Amino acid sequence: MQLKNSSNISTALAIASCSLLGHSAQVYAGDDKQDDWKVDAAIMYYGEQDRVQAVEAIGNVQKAFGDESLLDVKLVVDSLTGASASGAVAQSQSQTFTRPSGDGQYETAPGETPLDDTFKDTRVQVSANWAEILSPVWKTNVGMNASKEFDYFSLGLNGGLERSFNKDNTTLVLSGAYTFDNVDPVGGRPVAFSSMALRGDYDSEEEYRAAFAQTRMEGSNDKKTLDMMLSVTQVLSRRWLFQANYGLSSVSGYMTDPYKILSEVDDTGTTQRYLYESRPDSRLKHSFYMMTKGALDSGVVDFSYRYTTDDWDLNSHTLETHYRYYFSGRFYGQLHLRYYQQQAANFYRPFMMAGEPIPDYASADYRIGDMTSYTLGLKFGQRLSGGHEMSYRLEYYQQNPENNGFDLVGQLQDHDLFPEVKAVIAQVSYSF
Amino acid sequence: MSIQEKRVPSDFALSHRSWGHSGSFRAMASPCELLINSEDESLAREMMAIAACEAARIEKKFSRFIEGNPLWRLNHAGGEASAIDAETASLLQFARQCYRLSDGRFDISAGPLMALWRFDGGGIPAATDIKQAKVLVDFSLVDFDDYQLQFPSGMSLDFGGIAKEYAVDRVAYLLAEQWPTISVLVNFGGDIACPVSKGADTPPWQVGIENPQRLDSAAALLEIRQGALATSGDTRRFIEKDGQRFGHIIDPKTGYPVVKAPRSVTVLGPNCVTAGMLATMAMLQGEHAEAFLSEQEVEFKCFR
Repeated sequence: MQLKNSSNISTALAIASCSLLGHSAQVYAGDDKQDDWKVDAAIMYYGEQDRVQAVEAIGNVQKAFGDESLLDVKLVVDSLTGASASGAVAQSQSQTFTRPSGDGQYETAPGETPLDDTFKDTRVQVSANWAEILSPVWKTNVGMNASKEFDYFSLGLNGGLERSFNKDNTTLVLSGAYTFDNVDPVGGRPVAFSSMALRGDYDSEEEYRAAFAQTRMEGSNDKKTLDMMLSVTQVLSRRWLFQANYGLSSVSGYMTDPYKILSEVDDTGTTQRYLYESRPDSRLKHSFYMMTKGALDSGVVDFSYRYTTDDWDLNSHTLETHYRYYFSGRFYGQLHLRYYQQQAANFYRPFMMAGEPIPDYASADYRIGDMTSYTLGLKFGQRLSGGHEMSYRLEYYQQNPENNGFDLVGQLQDHDLFPEVKAVIAQVSYSF
Repeated sequence: MSIQEKRVPSDFALSHRSWGHSGSFRAMASPCELLINSEDESLAREMMAIAACEAARIEKKFSRFIEGNPLWRLNHAGGEASAIDAETASLLQFARQCYRLSDGRFDISAGPLMALWRFDGGGIPAATDIKQAKVLVDFSLVDFDDYQLQFPSGMSLDFGGIAKEYAVDRVAYLLAEQWPTISVLVNFGGDIACPVSKGADTPPWQVGIENPQRLDSAAALLEIRQGALATSGDTRRFIEKDGQRFGHIIDPKTGYPVVKAPRSVTVLGPNCVTAGMLATMAMLQGEHAEAFLSEQEVEFKCFR
């Protein structure tokens, strides 16, 4: 039996196949609805040795609307407990401090760094971002975020515009953000450089309460931040790309840490009193960032450098690298190294000397002092069936505060005023 | 955050090669492989994810082994009309064209006959069973337009003869649309498409064709830069009775496997569905397979 018109069959089939294969771009998009959703969930633990412990739950949902729009909603809830350095110096004798609320006291043993152990808070952060492809070369995004904790509220808006050039090999992004923060410290806002009232110095509770009230101001205080960033990304070759960013950030308002104090010591290094710190109410920051990222035979590597400087004279350098290696199509390991070095803000001082005039601003917060820190991290990721992914991250983080040239008088030489802070970060993430 | 970072279900292996990347996964009961002429690993991953997702989508939609899927619903409509989407309608149109061009011997309603010839070593079905099954095989009774489909209760459709080749073309075209300058060879169990030509400065893709006598080694090495090829054959599935080998190509007109058919036919074509259908039709020609293909002026390889 012969087929009909044998010789025309291949031509007829080729024509029929064109209409079969030609039609179906929308079918792909339409049938793929489940894949428009992406959900990530993670639990993170951050623990400093003897200090702050935090547990954070992160939920992130992304929903694509067609190929042009993407909504990203993120919820973070974290719970912090533990103690943080108050700014006071260690002493050879035990020290007594009034809690920030004015209710009660805490003691620090001889030789120990004073830690305020009343640190306990729960924070809820919500953010939403909408990204939209306007044309093959223009993209835009707008977003908002809000965060609330017991004594703090923050609300921000952000937006960005992206333009690609040169067949997508060059991308320029301009973005901006405005954030409004409101601080309502426990026990009220301390009066700058007022002396901590201690119950032991007063005969009656009334007298103590009156003295404590003298160190406090009524009401909350605001902080406003305006950020602008310009970013250029350039594809260098099939394997490498380069990114450079410049960021400008202007902050105005209340930037003092209401829970931080300074010790005022005499010539023997013995503390006479504790003064509440005070910081300037404006800050202008510049940041410069460069990053290069490359695809290796079975991995990805990136290197970055960041320099920041501001009108508090707080300058920092950050070097960072990630190296990811794919053991198979479904399993990777990633190494993370980060080195950070900062020069102290111009009003930072580890303590004040009695008899010296009170400066305009001063803080003994080690976080704005001279410091180096490094991070060493490992992460493993595993692709599961159905497109699910599981990843595990473990990092070690160490801060090494340093003396930026202050003479340690008397007994201060006997104590470690710049103790290291060591922390561990562990995270488990699941995405589907 | 990038809009392009759309997630797809994927479960594949990827390895780096001197000429780019090679990735593999399983779908449609076949090993599926992509040869990607690019050093960019993240791009290769993106391609693999698209390929695995599209193959899984087509399998989910058109496999006759998945209870409750769109095809299952069409086959269980009990003689009532069912709504169909554009993709199903165009596959049906293509199947109708193949039915007509093959003079009724390529028939996607041949499921009941196929079921009798299950090739599980059970022997040859009884003549009465074959006669009974043939009553339920007749694509001319399948009535459809762009939006709906209707056929008599008891009949069923099986896209098994087209779906894999269709998936190969779909994956190849999806990738070629997005990366029109990167040559990718899509190979699902020997059905192959490569729409973007591999550059003249690099060696062509090499594809092994199976020898039906020796399944574990490639009998012929074929070189292609661009195009598609498909293989039809009884290399793995046949039954032998009284010295006669019955292949897996059933002629719906007789109800029996085609006699004197080649063990396998490989055809080169402009795309995989065309090549696949030419290979199937050549098998249906039995001893005239080579003559048929010569008339079509296509490149081919028959094993007997």
